[in-house]
Amino acid sequence: MVKTERMQAEEVETAPGSAWLTGAAAWFVPGLGHLMQKRWWRAALMGGAVWICFFVGMAMGGHLFDLEAEGSSVLLQVPPMIANIGTGVLYVVSWLLDYGFKDDPAQAARATYEYGNTFLLIAGLLNYLTMLDAFDIAAGRKS
Amino acid sequence: MRHFLVMTLFAALASVVFGAMAKDTNHERMLYGLKVFAEFMVIGLVLGWILYFIP
Repeated sequence: MVKTERMQAEEVETAPGSAWLTGAAAWFVPGLGHLMQKRWWRAALMGGAVWICFFVGMAMGGHLFDLEAEGSSVLLQVPPMIANIGTGVLYVVSWLLDYGFKDDPAQAARATYEYGNTFLLIAGLLNYLTMLDAFDIAAGRKS
Repeated sequence: MRHFLVMTLFAALASVVFGAMAKDTNHERMLYGLKVFAEFMVIGLVLGWILYFIP
């Protein structure tokens, strides 16, 4: 690669510090990354979808994952925990309040238990997408 | 009926995010979101019927 090409590639790959800050804010509070960039509609749609997904999941009796496994391998808890952590402050507050983490047989017997789990996982994964979108906008990679 | 509503809500929320972050214009985003929503619904119903016949 000639020098000018390498310099151009470095210019494209380097994101400003504000983009990383925006990405972190977008992860921590769903929708905040777009709000910081005055993308009101995107913040409402994408952030709102994450918040709704999380609270609907909780209302359906969903279960959040952490590393305290009961009867199963801790390693099996890691992938769903990573998905759950995507919800940022929602996960942190739930963890601090110890809400939604207990393995309660009565809760697991609910017809909507698995749906709730899925909604909680998807809330986190959707917020990762939202975070990447906010980061790309802040870095000038998309409009 | 409740299962169908939950699936519809799931498809709607996911397609809103997919639609909002894809494409270049609002018109294209809306069309893409509707397309993703329809795909979620159709694939969900097809899979549901396939699994119905599997004991």
